[in-house]
Amino acid sequence: MATAPQVKSLSCPNCGGGVQVRGYARTLNVVCINCLSVLDASTPELQVLQTFQAKERIRPLIPLGSRGKLRGDTWEVTGFQVREILVDGIPYAWHEYLLFNPYKGFRYLTQYDGHWNFVSTLRSLPEMTTSRGRPAVRWMGETYKHFQSATAVTAYVMGEFPWQVRAGEQAQVADYVSPPRMISSELTSGEITWSLGEYTPGEDIWKAFNLPGAPPPPKGVYANQPSPHSGKAKAAWTTWLILNILLFTVMLLTSALTHNELVFDRSFQYSSAMKGEASFVTEPFELKGRISNVEVTISTDLKNDWAYFNLALINEATGQAYDFGREVSYYFGRDSEGSWSEGRARDRVIVPSIPPGRYYLRVEPEMATEGSTPGFSDHRVGYRIQIRRDVPNNFFFWIAALLLLIPPVFASLRGIGFESARWRESDYAGGSGDSDE
Amino acid sequence: MLKTPFFLLYGLMIVGLTGWANYRGWSFSRVNEIRDVPKSVRDNPGAYRSPYVGQHRYTGGK
Repeated sequence: MATAPQVKSLSCPNCGGGVQVRGYARTLNVVCINCLSVLDASTPELQVLQTFQAKERIRPLIPLGSRGKLRGDTWEVTGFQVREILVDGIPYAWHEYLLFNPYKGFRYLTQYDGHWNFVSTLRSLPEMTTSRGRPAVRWMGETYKHFQSATAVTAYVMGEFPWQVRAGEQAQVADYVSPPRMISSELTSGEITWSLGEYTPGEDIWKAFNLPGAPPPPKGVYANQPSPHSGKAKAAWTTWLILNILLFTVMLLTSALTHNELVFDRSFQYSSAMKGEASFVTEPFELKGRISNVEVTISTDLKNDWAYFNLALINEATGQAYDFGREVSYYFGRDSEGSWSEGRARDRVIVPSIPPGRYYLRVEPEMATEGSTPGFSDHRVGYRIQIRRDVPNNFFFWIAALLLLIPPVFASLRGIGFESARWRESDYAGGSGDSDE
Repeated sequence: MLKTPFFLLYGLMIVGLTGWANYRGWSFSRVNEIRDVPKSVRDNPGAYRSPYVGQHRYTGGK
């Protein structure tokens, strides 16, 4: 634990107010918190370097002199400045807090719209590169994509600084991001300074400096804000793959376990000219085993005609009937566009969950009656009815596969939405965006 | 998979339900269940009237 450094109290030569200099050899400038005059800390008489009349006083969220333990070290807030950039004529301002530890040196905390970064100066130069055709830097094996370049202006200063600070000072800044980190370059007087910012939740800052209340809530998505959806889409797609393998295995297993047993197979004839009752019942057949589906297939010799079959599968013992109807129609021909066909001469229906027992089928065919279709006086159909019990039905598996797609697609869309919001604030807004999801 | 416990649970429910549906022979086919059809239908099929009779309309080709 560092011992508390000595604080030297002096008077501001401009306003006479008290100025505290914490005695750090590296302090070059100190800004009077009363009149905001920039004073030369290297001279005993604190020579006034710049007087500054701010239109409004800005109160730092972390008071100067506050001490807190952040990332394992104790830091004291010694300086505060507000800097701003102009984008399309709109000023965007952020706050910078200068932190000092006599053994570790200086660090910074930046705050914009409730988003905080813990910033330290880089001791090695990043390598300039490109990523997907855009400028980028590479540092410690990681690629940081260019986010934004602008001219930053120092709008407001308070406290003491290890550099010559002046209100109105300009610097060319560029940010490169690889969430949750961001590398920034700052060009002033032909000198480039590189720094690394690490996104830090406001709650951590409040806890570290024991600040009252709650930090301002973050607004929007910040350049290097880690995506809460990061990795979720990938994890969801991994789970999706495993579930699909499981689903496919269950499909194979249930298909293999089905009996697909042919229990009835008969051929019949029908004519619309036939007098009397058209309906008839088949001889009984046995549905064995457990509750299962029953597939009824009707194969006809229809040509440019239709037939409708009213069918009822009736349990001989209980009188329980499963009633359904199927239309079979098949038309074909040739016209100016070539040959065409419509419908099929064969149809099938899967009757659900039929208990075992002895059943018979009631069949009532219908066709167009005489005179209803020009050119036809009699409609005939030869048809074959096949009944199978416990047939494989993969329809539910296709539905399941679609339902399993919902969570990973949703997770991906949320991740893409977050990244789009991030890059909307960059120099590449309106472009294709940049999503790592 | 443990990173997505709700999806895993949801997925297992779907896979389980699908397997069960297939095992029990579920289907989306429109079937009317009618109870207590008289045994006389066996000898007189015309005594039973399907609810679908007369509902059919001509849907011929071109």
